Amino acid sequence: MRRKELLILSVIAGGVVIGTFAVAEEKLPEHLRELLELGMHPGHVFVEEGKDYYHNLKGPNGKTCATCHGQDGSRLVGAYAKMPRYYKDIDEVADIDLRIYKCMTNYMGFDPEDKKFKKKYLKTYRVPLATYVASLSNGMKINVKIQHPKEKEMYELGKKVWFTRAGAREFSCAMCHTVLAGKRIRLQGLPNPVKAKSYKHWPAYRFGSDKMWTMEDRVRTCFRAYFLFLNRWDEKKDWVKKPPFFAKEVIAVELYMKHASNGGIIEVPGLLR
Amino acid sequence: MKKIATAGAIVGLGLLVACQPAAQKAEAQKPKKKLTAYEKFKIAFYQNRDEWQKYCSNEAQLVPKGISVEEFKKAMLATIKFPPGGKVMGDWKRGEKLFGDPKKGGRSRRGNCYACHCGDPQIIACGNIGPSLRGYGKKGVDPKQTYMRIYNSWAFNPCSAMPRLGYWGVLKPEEIADIVAFLHSPESPINK
Ligand code: HEC
Ligand code: HEC
Ligand code: HEC
Repeated sequence: MRRKELLILSVIAGGVVIGTFAVAEEKLPEHLRELLELGMHPGHVFVEEGKDYYHNLKGPNGKTCATCHGQDGSRLVGAYAKMPRYYKDIDEVADIDLRIYKCMTNYMGFDPEDKKFKKKYLKTYRVPLATYVASLSNGMKINVKIQHPKEKEMYELGKKVWFTRAGAREFSCAMCHTVLAGKRIRLQGLPNPVKAKSYKHWPAYRFGSDKMWTMEDRVRTCFRAYFLFLNRWDEKKDWVKKPPFFAKEVIAVELYMKHASNGGIIEVPGLLR
Repeated sequence: MKKIATAGAIVGLGLLVACQPAAQKAEAQKPKKKLTAYEKFKIAFYQNRDEWQKYCSNEAQLVPKGISVEEFKKAMLATIKFPPGGKVMGDWKRGEKLFGDPKKGGRSRRGNCYACHCGDPQIIACGNIGPSLRGYGKKGVDPKQTYMRIYNSWAFNPCSAMPRLGYWGVLKPEEIADIVAFLHSPESPINK
C-alpha cells in the first residue's frame, strides 16, 4: 500500500536523524523538513485515503459522503474552521470525529448499534475522513463561535476540564500546558496549545509514533498521564486510562482550545516529531 | 454468604439473624450492570477526586484564597503512614528501579521520578519540572523528611505538580523507603 511504501521511504531518509531523537528539540527535525521539501508529507497519504472513502465508501443505503456534501467536498469547504459546533439535526455539540460518525449512522444506513461498524469507523475510516475534511479548510482562519446554549454549556465544561486536577498523579491540562509550559517532562517539551493556537495544525502526523491523530486522539492520550482510577489506582486492574471516544469532556475541552485558537490559520495535516 | 452463615452457626442463632440484613444488602448491590467506559471515566474524573484536588483546580493551580495553607499542610501531614518499625530507609537498589530503572532508560511506571527530576547522571532522559536531585544525599536533609515528601508532597507544598504517591497508594510505604535509600545512600549513583 502507498502509505507503507511512503513510510518506509521516509524512515530510510530519516534513519540517521531518528537516532538522535533523545535530544529534546522543539522545531521540526531536519529529515522531516527535507521530506516536506520533497513534497512527501507522510500525512498526505491520509488525506488521499480520506478522499477515497469520501467518494467511494457506500453506506448500506447506497449513499456516499459526496451524495450530500458535493464532489471533492465542495460543500464542506470551511466547515472545519467552525467546529466543534452545535448541530440541530443531532441536537448536540460535535467535533469532527463525532460529526462524521453521526452522518454515517443517521444518513448512510450504518447501524448505530453495530459494535463492529463502530470499531471499524474508529480504527479505519475516522482519521482519514477527518483529516480529509479538515484539509478542505486549509488556509482559512479558525472561527469558532460560542452562541447556542449548548455551545455555551460545553465551553464552560471545557474550561472546567482544563483546570481540573484529578487522578493519582494530580494532573490537569492546565498543570502541564499552562503552569509548566516551556518545561520538559522527561524529554518532551510541554507546549501551550492555548497560547500557541496549536489547533491550527491538528489533525497531525506524529513522526515519533508513526501515527496520524485527530485532536480526540491527542486529548484522550494526554489523560493517560493522570492515573485516573475506579477504586484505587492499580496499573493492571483499576486504571481508567482514557475517556472513550466522543466523551463530552473531550469535545468540551476541544471547543475550549479551538476557541482559543480563533484567528489561527489552518494548515493540516500538521507534522510533529 | 457461606462465611457469614458458618460464623453465625458457631456463635449462635442470634448473630445469624443479626447478620441477615447486612448480607441481604450486599446481595442487593451485587447484580449491578457493568459500567460503560464513559461511566467509569466520570467516576474516576469527578467522583474520585478528593477535596484537596478540588481546591487546587483553579486558574493558578494553587491554594485558593479562603483556604489556609497551614491547615492544608496539617491535614496532609496527618495522612502519612510509615513502614513497619518506622524504618524510612530501605534497599537503595530496589529504590533505583522504582525511581526509574536504568535498564529501561530511567523509566518506571509508578515512581517515574525522572519525568520531572534529574538524578543519576547516566540517565540523560530527565525532566526539569522539579529540582535536580543529583547529590541529594549530601545536602543533610533528614531522611524522614524525604520520606514524608514522597508520601505526600502536598504536606510541604500544597497543590504542587509533584503527585502524592503514597497518599494515593501508587507507592507502598516500603517502596517509598527504598526510594529514600536511593536518594540518601552514599553508594547510590545519585550521590556518586
Ligand atoms: C444523506 C446526507 C448526508 C450524508 C450521506 C453525509 N452527511 Fe454529513 N451532514 C449531513 C447533514 C444533514 C449535516 C448537518 C448540516 C448542518 O446542520 O449544518 C451534515 C454535517 C456534516 C459535517 C459538518 C458540516 C458543517 O458545516 O459543520 C461534516 C464535516 C460532515 N457532515 C461530513 C460527512 C462525511 C465525511 C460523510 C461521509 C462519511 C457525510 N457527512 C455523509 C448530511 C449527510
Ligand atoms: C503530564 C503532562 C500532560 C498533561 C496532564 C496533559 N498533557 Fe497534553 N501534552 C503533553 C505532552 C508531553 C504533549 C506532547 C508534546 C510533543 O508532542 O512534543 C502534549 C500535547 C498536547 C497537545 C498538542 C499540542 C501541540 O503543540 O500540537 C494538546 C492540544 C494537548 N496536549 C492537550 C491536552 C489537554 C486538553 C489536556 C487535559 C485533558 C492535556 N493535554 C493534559 C503532556 C500533558
Ligand atoms: C510531575 C512532576 C514530579 C514527579 C513525577 C516527581 N516530582 Fe518530586 N518534585 C516536583 C516538584 C515540582 C518539586 C518542587 C516543589 C515541591 O516541593 O513540591 C519536587 C520536589 C521534590 C523533592 C524535594 C527536592 C528539594 O530539593 O527540596 C524531592 C526529594 C522529590 N521531589 C522527590 C521525588 C521522587 C523520589 C519522585 C518519584 C517517586 C518524584 N519526586 C516525582 C515534581 C515532581
